[in-house]
Amino acid sequence: MDNKKLQNMRYLFNPSNVAVVGASQNPGKLGFHVMKSLTQGGYNGEIIPINPSAQEIMGHRAFKSLDSYAHDIDLVIVVVPAKFVPHVFRECANKGVKGIVLITAGFKEIEDPLGAELHEQIRSIAEDAHIPVIGPNTFGMINFHAGLNSSFTPEFSRIRKGKVALVSQSGGMSHLMGFLAIREDMGFSKIVGIGNRLNVDFAEMLEYLSHDPDTRAVALYVEGIDEARSLLQAARDCTKIKPIVAYKTGSARVGDMASASHTGSVAGDYDIYNAAFKQAGIIPVVDSQQLLDTAKALAHCPIPSGNGIAILSGQAGPGMAASDVCEKHGLNIARFTDSTQARINELLPPLALRTNPVDMGPAWYDASAIAGIVEAVLNDENVDAILLYMMFASANADAIERMTGLLQQWNQQKPIISCLLSPPGIWDDQVRDLEQKGALVNYPTPERAALALAGLWKYANKPQRFNKLNEPNKPNEPNERIDPMTLID
Amino acid sequence: MDVIKKAIEQGRKMLSEHESKKLLAAYGIPVTKERLARNVGELKQAASDIGYPIVLKGHSPSLAHKTEKGLIRVDIRNEQEAIEAFNEITENVENNEKAVLVQEMIKGQRELVVGLTRDPQFGPCVMFGLGGIFTEILKDISFRVAPLEKHDALEMMREIKGHKILDAVRGMPAADIDALADILIAVGRIGLENDDVKEIDINPLILQGSKPVAVDALVVLDPNGA
Repeated sequence: MDNKKLQNMRYLFNPSNVAVVGASQNPGKLGFHVMKSLTQGGYNGEIIPINPSAQEIMGHRAFKSLDSYAHDIDLVIVVVPAKFVPHVFRECANKGVKGIVLITAGFKEIEDPLGAELHEQIRSIAEDAHIPVIGPNTFGMINFHAGLNSSFTPEFSRIRKGKVALVSQSGGMSHLMGFLAIREDMGFSKIVGIGNRLNVDFAEMLEYLSHDPDTRAVALYVEGIDEARSLLQAARDCTKIKPIVAYKTGSARVGDMASASHTGSVAGDYDIYNAAFKQAGIIPVVDSQQLLDTAKALAHCPIPSGNGIAILSGQAGPGMAASDVCEKHGLNIARFTDSTQARINELLPPLALRTNPVDMGPAWYDASAIAGIVEAVLNDENVDAILLYMMFASANADAIERMTGLLQQWNQQKPIISCLLSPPGIWDDQVRDLEQKGALVNYPTPERAALALAGLWKYANKPQRFNKLNEPNKPNEPNERIDPMTLID
Repeated sequence: MDVIKKAIEQGRKMLSEHESKKLLAAYGIPVTKERLARNVGELKQAASDIGYPIVLKGHSPSLAHKTEKGLIRVDIRNEQEAIEAFNEITENVENNEKAVLVQEMIKGQRELVVGLTRDPQFGPCVMFGLGGIFTEILKDISFRVAPLEKHDALEMMREIKGHKILDAVRGMPAADIDALADILIAVGRIGLENDDVKEIDINPLILQGSKPVAVDALVVLDPNGA
């Protein structure tokens, strides 16, 4: 991506003002919902509705055209019919606009060849002016850290801000992930619907996000890609700095056909995508939930330095479930050092398995014993990460409280992934608090927790040497992997 | 590569087994010792040079699946058997080139498959997996996009469900993993360096002891490919 365009992407996502071409008072128009998103999303910059027949929209003074607004405009959201878009783009180019979100559909994805012509027309205007365009045929994008909801769904603003950036080829999947995240108490830094990728494709988004301080992990939803090699190269560069997890659909025949018409591109074979992703250091996942779960762990846990896992469970069952998942995914149930084991044996009566995975059940009545076990294991040199499970059972009601001080102090020097489950309203606040303080990352089931940890290990374990795709014979250069934790405050 | 150019000039879409193996050999991939024999005289010479036991295969540029056409005879132990087999096979071959491929017989129970395909998005991709008659049934395979590095090759071999076949199992020595990795990397290079090559099938790649040897090979051409 040329430098000017990359620079402009920064303004696109953090504009000092935003114009909406096609802003409307009429709830039947997308321009209405876009205005609602902007005005209700908590954005502090100036909002400039462009509509030749309105004086003001939602309390903001409206202008007849971009030109009739005297000052510079950073971001323009375009939501007028396709045939008007070339004119709007020319106005944007003349005005030195830095970024465009083109929500309008009716370009490459329709069957009418006129659509493809229009697409090419506006593409060259944008490229000549170095303007990055999100879309066309997209719901838009949200930058949660700027309170900027440039989409037609105001309710995206209910998602709290976080550290994962979602780049998606499907509007539907973006809405799914976004609203699922609210239910899972997870946040996003950005959600971007790249739509029909006029001049911003996955590769450009990865290049931009590599250096975005608000983003610690990137999640991709992919249906079909046009520029495969440039995506792989961009991914290889990005994963040196921060992890990427990707969900690709379209492996079933039906899916493939839907893919072809949905994005106007030719989808590749599933096995090969999987292979290509792995080679680029992208972690592939197999469903929407796994995409969120893995991204959450990647964004909030440190990288484990090995695959030695300790499973500490308040009850044996969940621990067993976790062991099965761990074994399947290349995680190793660590053997405790003698001193750790001795300490555990002091704290636990010999009524259940005291070796790893540890059934802390016999100490159910003794929250400080549990805390003592956790502490000993955290400090064991054979342990690189911990799975901590506890199911609420009245008699152990204060277990979380007792561990809170220790966990906060420990501050995930090694990753701690948990499943701390109680009926709604009992442990919720304590667990959320621990998560927000970065003390652990919690999941609703022991299997999801173990799988998330496996994802973390996949990232830790990826090969460090990535040669450029065009130079198969170049000798390997050692790459320093940058721990994403050091990039953010 | 000459063998490719010649085939394209002749308007062919495939290389014969013998030509395919020449291409592989040019890239350092171990192939069976073999020679074409057009008559009994050449047959006797080839057999004695290569050494019994041998395999005879009907040879024609358009033969893709020889077992189905009754055109293979294996474990031929002496000249008498060789001549009989030669006559039987050449009766069944339909074209003018009544030639037979005389090949050393590779003994090994472990059959692997190595292949190349050209993906419209990613370009040449290498495939590895369990070979022989089970390839299509089990589909226990893995892929990597070319160019492959050593760690890609090693990883993809470990990814198949049947990867333990490469270990020292049932009295057989462990496979020479480095040699296998070199083969995978080389196949990727063939794809990157020869736009006319559309697909490659090395099946079976037999482990003779620990050493992999390409026992059968097919190269599919596409002169319009890139």
